[in-house]
Amino acid sequence: MAANLKGPVAHHFNNLNQQLTTVRMGMWMFLVTEVLFFGGAFCAYTAYRVWFTSDFEAGSAALNVGIASVNTFLLLTSSLTITLGIRAAYAGNPKGLRNYLLATIILGVAFLGLKGREYQLDYQEGLIPNVSVLTPEAQKVVNERIAKDPGKADEKVYPFNENLAVVLHHEKFKGEPFVAYDPFRVQLFFMFYYSMTGLHVLHMIIGLGLLTWQYILACRGFFDYNARYVYIEAMSLYWHFVDMAWMFLLPLLYLAGPHSASQALEQFKVAIGLASGTH
Amino acid sequence: MTTANSIGTDTPMAIPKLDYTPQMSPEPELTPTEQREKPNYLNWQYGLLSWVLTVDHKRIGLMYLVSVSIFFMFGAIAAGLVRTNLIMPTGAILELDQYNKAFTAHGTIMLFLFLIPVIPGVLGNFLVPMMVGAKDMAFPKLNLMSYYVWAAGALFFVWQLTVGGLDTGWTLYPPYSSKYSHTNVLYAGLGIFITGFSSILTAINIIATVHKMRCPGMTWGRLPLFVWAMYATSVIQILATPVLAVTVVMLAVEKIFGVGIYDPTIGGDPILFQHMFWFYSHPAVYIMILPGMGVINEVLTCFSRKNIFGYKAVAWSSVGIAVVGFLVWGHHMFLAGQGYFLGQVFALLTMLVAVPSAIKVFNWTATLYGGSITFQAPMIFAIGFIILFTIGGVTGLFLGSMGTDIHLHDTYFVIAHFHYTMVGGMMFAWQAGLHFWWPKMTGKMYSDFWSRLAAVVMLVGFALTFLPQFVAGYMGMPRRYPNYPPEFQIYNVLSTAAAYLQGIGFAMPAFYLIGSLFFGKPAGNNPFRATGLEWQTSSPPGPHNFESLPQVYFGPYEYSVPDGLKILNDGSTNGVHSNGSANTDKGAAHGS
Repeated sequence: MAANLKGPVAHHFNNLNQQLTTVRMGMWMFLVTEVLFFGGAFCAYTAYRVWFTSDFEAGSAALNVGIASVNTFLLLTSSLTITLGIRAAYAGNPKGLRNYLLATIILGVAFLGLKGREYQLDYQEGLIPNVSVLTPEAQKVVNERIAKDPGKADEKVYPFNENLAVVLHHEKFKGEPFVAYDPFRVQLFFMFYYSMTGLHVLHMIIGLGLLTWQYILACRGFFDYNARYVYIEAMSLYWHFVDMAWMFLLPLLYLAGPHSASQALEQFKVAIGLASGTH
Repeated sequence: MTTANSIGTDTPMAIPKLDYTPQMSPEPELTPTEQREKPNYLNWQYGLLSWVLTVDHKRIGLMYLVSVSIFFMFGAIAAGLVRTNLIMPTGAILELDQYNKAFTAHGTIMLFLFLIPVIPGVLGNFLVPMMVGAKDMAFPKLNLMSYYVWAAGALFFVWQLTVGGLDTGWTLYPPYSSKYSHTNVLYAGLGIFITGFSSILTAINIIATVHKMRCPGMTWGRLPLFVWAMYATSVIQILATPVLAVTVVMLAVEKIFGVGIYDPTIGGDPILFQHMFWFYSHPAVYIMILPGMGVINEVLTCFSRKNIFGYKAVAWSSVGIAVVGFLVWGHHMFLAGQGYFLGQVFALLTMLVAVPSAIKVFNWTATLYGGSITFQAPMIFAIGFIILFTIGGVTGLFLGSMGTDIHLHDTYFVIAHFHYTMVGGMMFAWQAGLHFWWPKMTGKMYSDFWSRLAAVVMLVGFALTFLPQFVAGYMGMPRRYPNYPPEFQIYNVLSTAAAYLQGIGFAMPAFYLIGSLFFGKPAGNNPFRATGLEWQTSSPPGPHNFESLPQVYFGPYEYSVPDGLKILNDGSTNGVHSNGSANTDKGAAHGS
């Protein structure tokens, strides 16, 4: 960065340049570990994705690709705003920095809000393995089946499997005959879905906490020493990483199964209450 | 690195006769009052808060030292229980489930709470900044946080072991850790997860320190080999540990939601767990041994008064081990169903990882050749390391070859092999390092006699404990079983008896090292007359390590420089590494 940076040098550094490059390097090292952390989960996911191809596609089809699409837009935009914030900072515009930080926080919170709504819809659809109970629709299906063949009354009912069947045979898939799937393998897909997006959400929450802290610091004049912008740079590296992780999660989880643009739009309308869900 | 010999031929100067005998106190003695009043990292601040909130790498190193020593004691007690139980073919003192818990406690505590943090935590923290000429680690607060994260995880883990125990073996293989475990694997796994996080933070700190905090003149080619080893270790830690973390997370998800990721009884794949676990845990054995190898370089050169043979080869072999170590995990799974072809590939790659280890052993041997060797305690430990590690390494090749491994897999041969590398290797290296740098850490010299005796007792006790296990294992005694056929009893009794002797040996330093704090003679700045940068400052070092920014003119092991001692003695008075102007041109020649 520019040579006219000013700021206090911590006691154990010899000069400012050493301090700044060390901060950047520390964050890059941390991101290396993060890549390996998510990488391990991606690796396990990929192994099962290869073994259980059609089942994972069925699981993916049951996800809410509408919310995911909008979230992708929000998150990518937030990466842009934080970069613009750093640009504003180094151009000597602290007000611009504050505004862009605020924009980043708002976009991140919007992402989390929609993500929470998505989890809520998943819960309503009864798609949490070994936790969900039968939804009313699924209960109806089970009752009809037992009415048709009373011999099946003693069979063990797996709520997730019944709920999944309801979701996947919903009218939105009419005209698109679906591949055969094993619901127990789809349960595994959902485990990966919840744990991987859960880890991502956890990273987002930590990142938003740090961003909020930096916003407060920016308002209090902590960044009057322009050398301290390096902390926002480090923060932005982390934020871009969270973004990148999502860019891998989106195709692995949401785009693995058959979806259509109209379906995604419909799902998003349901999510924000513009259209009513059919179940 | 040019060796000193080329200098000798260039310079037509008479080589003075050197006094190679290590001296206990070459420095002018300070009066007790002067000694007390000279500010050092131990006495410049007082009070509990100045310790628990310190960001000084040296104090954090001492905090690690106390903690890991306590956990080592726990692990050793568990080992004592296991060995005592094995005196009788049907088990002497423990119930079957107690036996499972005892050997699991021994394995997990020794690995996660002792071997992995011990040298990076204690010696790495204390020495890496001093060896590169820095005032502190790159991220001092992160360093303190790393200690507390580790301590929290470790205490939580030990608490879990004491309230419920863990009966899975340290490998946590499903379905032992899922369907068939009667203990709380979830919380124990959480403890491991937390300590792993600390290991990552320490590694980030060390890498950043080595890259960014080196003092003027401290080029990569002049770094002490201990720093190279710590660097390679840290690279493994940041690359491997997150994979263990996510593996444990998925184990927890499986436990909580009951959907099989790893557990075959509910549809998961146990081989997947083994792949992910060993992707961490095989590199982790290099996390354990590489710092020890680094210590050996420092000790051997000092006590044979010679430059290291093949600096570059030793330095790059550390990096080589770090890289190739990531490619061999499958040799733990030859019999687990990973496939014949994959097994062949892993067997071949395993042979490859023996190469850098062998490079080190040959270079150490060549370093000893023609040296002026003295057998003080650190040197006895270091020689012990070379012998025991070589045995451990060569028996590792038996296990890395598929054909022999089919016979030896899961027998006591494996136990003996990794104890030769982990205890005979890392534990001896740790003792060598502790004894070598104890005078620097505390400013006090321990008893020469007792330290040598302890080293010999440990060596004899160790060898007699684990040699019989090679035989028993080769004859087919399986590991982890509480009961065994009576014909193996002789080996087990011998092994147990020697284990008690070894226990006495490991307990001895606790007495004479602590005793040295109160009764030991002042060590002086450089009692072993070593050349490393850390020896050029006072003992114990001042709060900021060096009184002025050091300037380095030549490599770390210039024991053969003709006027090396004079340079060192000049340098030690003003706390810098030989910055006498007369040496500048010579230093340039060395650096080229």
